[in-house]
Amino acid sequence: MADYDENLSHLRGPSAADIDLDDETQDFRFLSNLPTHDVKDLTLPKRGDKDFESHATSLQLSTLEASRQAMHNALSWPRIHTQKTHLLATYHPESNMAYVKKAKTQHFQTLGHFKAGKNWLLPEEALFMIERGSMDCRWPVQVEEGRTDIIVYDGQEENERGVPMSLQGAYAAFIGFEGGVGGKLTLEMYTVYAGLKRAGFIVFRAGDWDDERLPIQYNEQDARDGDKVKSGNWAFGFVAEIWRRLSRKETEVPADRLKCGPLLGSGLYRSYADIYRLLQVIPTRDRNAPPELILPPDCSNPFRITFDVYKTAGAGKFKKSTRGPPDYRIAVVNARETPVPTMAQLNDLLATTPYDPPNPNGNLYQKLRHGSRNVILAVVDNGIPSYIRVGDTPFTDEKLYKRLGRGPPRGKKSGRGRGRGRGG
Amino acid sequence: MSHDMAADVAVSMPDPLPNDRPSNQITNGVERNEDVNEPKPQIPRPKRPNFAQIHAKPLPLDVYPLPAFIPHNPLSLVRIAIALISQSFWPPSSQTVIHTGYFSKETQSVHVTDAQSIRALWEQGFFGKGSLSRSEPRWLDQEKRKRGLVASLTSEEATRLRREERRQFKLERARKEREAIEQQLREEGKPYPAIQDEEVSVESDLDKSQDSQLQASDERTEGVSPIPTSDSCVVADDNLRRELEEGKDISTQIAEEICQPDIQNQEHLQLTPEEAFFLAHATGALQVYRNNSVVPSSYLLRLFCTYSTFPFSEKAEAYMDTIYRLTELHGRNSIDFSETGAMAPDNPFILRYVVYLHFRSLGWVVRPGVKFAVDYLLYNRGPVFAHAEFAVIIIPSYSHQYWTETSERKAEVDKRQNRGWWWLHRINRVQTQVQKTLVLVYVEVPPPLDEEHRMFHKLNVGDVLQSYKVREFVVRRWTPNRNRD
Repeated sequence: MADYDENLSHLRGPSAADIDLDDETQDFRFLSNLPTHDVKDLTLPKRGDKDFESHATSLQLSTLEASRQAMHNALSWPRIHTQKTHLLATYHPESNMAYVKKAKTQHFQTLGHFKAGKNWLLPEEALFMIERGSMDCRWPVQVEEGRTDIIVYDGQEENERGVPMSLQGAYAAFIGFEGGVGGKLTLEMYTVYAGLKRAGFIVFRAGDWDDERLPIQYNEQDARDGDKVKSGNWAFGFVAEIWRRLSRKETEVPADRLKCGPLLGSGLYRSYADIYRLLQVIPTRDRNAPPELILPPDCSNPFRITFDVYKTAGAGKFKKSTRGPPDYRIAVVNARETPVPTMAQLNDLLATTPYDPPNPNGNLYQKLRHGSRNVILAVVDNGIPSYIRVGDTPFTDEKLYKRLGRGPPRGKKSGRGRGRGRGG
Repeated sequence: MSHDMAADVAVSMPDPLPNDRPSNQITNGVERNEDVNEPKPQIPRPKRPNFAQIHAKPLPLDVYPLPAFIPHNPLSLVRIAIALISQSFWPPSSQTVIHTGYFSKETQSVHVTDAQSIRALWEQGFFGKGSLSRSEPRWLDQEKRKRGLVASLTSEEATRLRREERRQFKLERARKEREAIEQQLREEGKPYPAIQDEEVSVESDLDKSQDSQLQASDERTEGVSPIPTSDSCVVADDNLRRELEEGKDISTQIAEEICQPDIQNQEHLQLTPEEAFFLAHATGALQVYRNNSVVPSSYLLRLFCTYSTFPFSEKAEAYMDTIYRLTELHGRNSIDFSETGAMAPDNPFILRYVVYLHFRSLGWVVRPGVKFAVDYLLYNRGPVFAHAEFAVIIIPSYSHQYWTETSERKAEVDKRQNRGWWWLHRINRVQTQVQKTLVLVYVEVPPPLDEEHRMFHKLNVGDVLQSYKVREFVVRRWTPNRNRD
């Protein structure tokens, strides 16, 4: 049989994992199942299916109407600030941050940092809270000279007398006005931050954004393993060396054959593994060498890890003071200003991510897809983020020729019909 | 020996499939009107040939493993000793057969015309493509089937059948949907819309557009095979055939006659320059001829580099011809060409070959991936065993300091490295659709070769290849909603 190259089906939709439900208009009837009073057992509803074509049945029309009504009901749910949870913040122009004196909501488990009796919110955190309608931010009151004490008028604190900050005002104030390159928080970064927060992730700045890039992360485990082999097995190595000499196995192509070819001599070879070993003449990056940076430190390098992202699965135990290693690292780039990264840029970016080897018991494809280090690029084009996971994959670590005869690994995708679904 | 086996297999491919299968299929489809959602009755699939046996060798080379040592059978030691001794006195060669190919400038490929070589190169490592087939050279089988002679179902036919099957299924599904709507309208007491009268409206708009797409693509598929039979190719083919016939010995002629009782095989195998160079330079299992003489690897490298960009530079072409004639006249190492045009370090052929050799040397079967918007597809063992899991795109990388030394160079390099995200997303979208994983392979481009390498006769192929460095990055889409918990 030939390649199934042309068998690419024009009929199959993308696999379920590739459909981003946010991209589509949904059947909103699920919203009417939301409990309207009991906030305690709020769970995320399941979404309905999408109907494509209109046909003149009343059934379809009533379904559509019900869906619209459900959406309307969900949106018209009154959102109120009770006096108890009313959250008042004050803008701090010097640091371009906002502070809250009393953290009244649970948001502060995953937001802000506590310093000098106040909860300080970074620009993106403050903006997110304002946009969400959970926080009332006020412009600071101009304090006249000589009066530094807090004056209480009619039981009101000073910051309550400030003018409320509008959403437009908040965007104008918080984005691009930090000290640092490009005002640090760009609109692209905020888009990604807000998007991930709304999707239920816990997001923090990676590092403090003051340095040009994060420090290199070395893989300690690798170094330790290397030592073990060196120190423990010299006797084994000695025997292996003797055997190698006895069997006169070629491990390197002699220079003259390399020069004019063929790489393989005209002699006999005992196994295909020997042959493949000789064919490996193209150098790759030494995977055991510690990662190193290629580019000079430069603030204008657009590829820097921007956010540390944590899954919500363990949110109950999440402590912002002891966050631990993040689940994902996200670098935000502007799709219109930044081209696809060069090798040097990717290398430097991945050098600042931790060594994250795949599960050694996984199958070949899983291991290769996982890579030894990884980062997620959030490519934002005018407010629409697209996430791409880039893994540094050592193909040389998985020598396929050692597995010949074993057959390709079967994932859960197996059982596909012959050639249907994907070609090639 | 390998050749005999190859020929045997080609002859004795079973054909368990009756000829009237397509018509069966269609009537089945009509009868199954009532329940489209039910699992389809299993159509007996033709038994696959034993691919593990046919493609046992991953490269067109033989290996001679030592007999196994069996601890409780001391005689096995004797067998090992005998094998060791006999092989040290009369060492067999791993390159049992050296195939021949002819470089064709017009098709920018290397043609292999010997029937046994074609089978061997396809079966042992999946090299090349049949000039009249989609991939595996199966033109003869197709032709035999057309004339009612026995041969197995070709993959092109299988595809056609499957598409027809799928089309019927979709028509059925659309009909079911329409019936459900009609039923609903009847219950609601509404009149049917006017378009329902037409017989054509069986398909919904969506299906219609998809079906027309499908048909168009079918036509295209069928159109693929006639294209290479245009005049120029036939002429080239005939030339090759004549060349072949001159050098053909009687045994192959007999073998061919057994293979093809009445139809003459019009097909040859075409190797891409990378495949040809790999076979010639790395394995030594192929000799590439230009006119009547074998060309050495260093010449071949230059030749492929010259023809890797289009339009060809006339000067470079003329130069390659001159070198060729002079080497013919004077013998190989006696001429000094200081006037040689420098080979661009990021010549597309070299970049492609470096990546090709890299993945081949790790054991992957590397096939061209232009149909999937990529440079290469990586198969585990080969396309008959499983779909390709990885799709490779080659990106030259200019991180050597030479490229940023002067501002003009830097500007030029920046221009060449400027790839937009739309480009990457397009490619990646195609890969997710066909369930492959995209691999970006960055090839580090060295500074231009130094003076001594420019001289043709001193071109050190090994040094050239080793001055490149590859690095792979796997790229996948990441969806926040699917990675939350």
